[in-house]
Amino acid sequence: MPDFQFASLGDFFAMGGYAFYVWAAYLFFFAVMIWNLLQPRLERRKVLKLLQARQARESNAAARAGE
Amino acid sequence: MWQWLYKLGSPRHFYEMTSTFLPWLTFVTYFLLIVGLVWGLGFAPRDYQMGDNYRIIYIHVPLALGALWVYVMMAVMAAMHMIWNIKVADMVAKSCAVVGVSYCAVALFTGAMWGKRIWGVYWIWDAKLTSFLILFFIYIGVMALRSAFDSETSASKAASVLTLVGIVNLPIVYYASVWWNTLHQPPSRLSLSAEGANPPEIWIPVFFTGFGLIGLVFLLVILRTRNEILWRERRAQWVQDLVKQELSRA
Repeated sequence: MPDFQFASLGDFFAMGGYAFYVWAAYLFFFAVMIWNLLQPRLERRKVLKLLQARQARESNAAARAGE
Repeated sequence: MWQWLYKLGSPRHFYEMTSTFLPWLTFVTYFLLIVGLVWGLGFAPRDYQMGDNYRIIYIHVPLALGALWVYVMMAVMAAMHMIWNIKVADMVAKSCAVVGVSYCAVALFTGAMWGKRIWGVYWIWDAKLTSFLILFFIYIGVMALRSAFDSETSASKAASVLTLVGIVNLPIVYYASVWWNTLHQPPSRLSLSAEGANPPEIWIPVFFTGFGLIGLVFLLVILRTRNEILWRERRAQWVQDLVKQELSRA
């Protein structure tokens, strides 16, 4: 098991003076990947709702036609 | 094997098969990414020339290679759609474009963050960077072209053709730093011994994030394709039953 390379947590966040570049890169990476993972799940919910509404409409129409 | 592949061409089978292995794929992908990122950010030894700034490579390199890989997938799917008219292939290709463009964007951004400290500039018009920017624009072009048509069939055809034309850019991106003198370095040679230029302690975490990000490509493409299947197959009986099931569960 390799050792933790930084003396303290503060050192870790400082990234040897490159904090801005390293953390900006990782922050953007996480932001985009979280969007990537959330978007299809929200989309799925939207599609299912649309299809449910469509089914309800069709069964209503069928019921009315049967009267 | 062929029968299995053939079955994947049916939207219903694609949907059902992915339902069973999606949890596994999710687990493996998250595991690889978490191990790779923690290792790369905290435990890999500091580079003696670039200091801690080099830790950006743990995402930059896999993302850039991933963006190229997604394009290859998208092109194969486009070809399958053009030749055999397989509907699922087109839906996968459509999902690939969104994932590819996001990988491109992050690869470009992380590259800029790296370049500023190493080269002194965020951006330079050298062959590697410029051809990669063109890859980014090709992805956007494919997505835009697809959305420009009202008819789904014309949209898929146009997007497939543009995707196949765009293949010409792939070898240029990959070999740019070998063919021309670019500021961007050519692919690194990895060494197995601790004395080499790139010892294993440095590059093993790259394999974790690399396979993790490839896993993420598959995960994201599958999630998007499943939505596309539900929508395009909305008139099929199995989708209607599935919608009813989801309704009763909610």
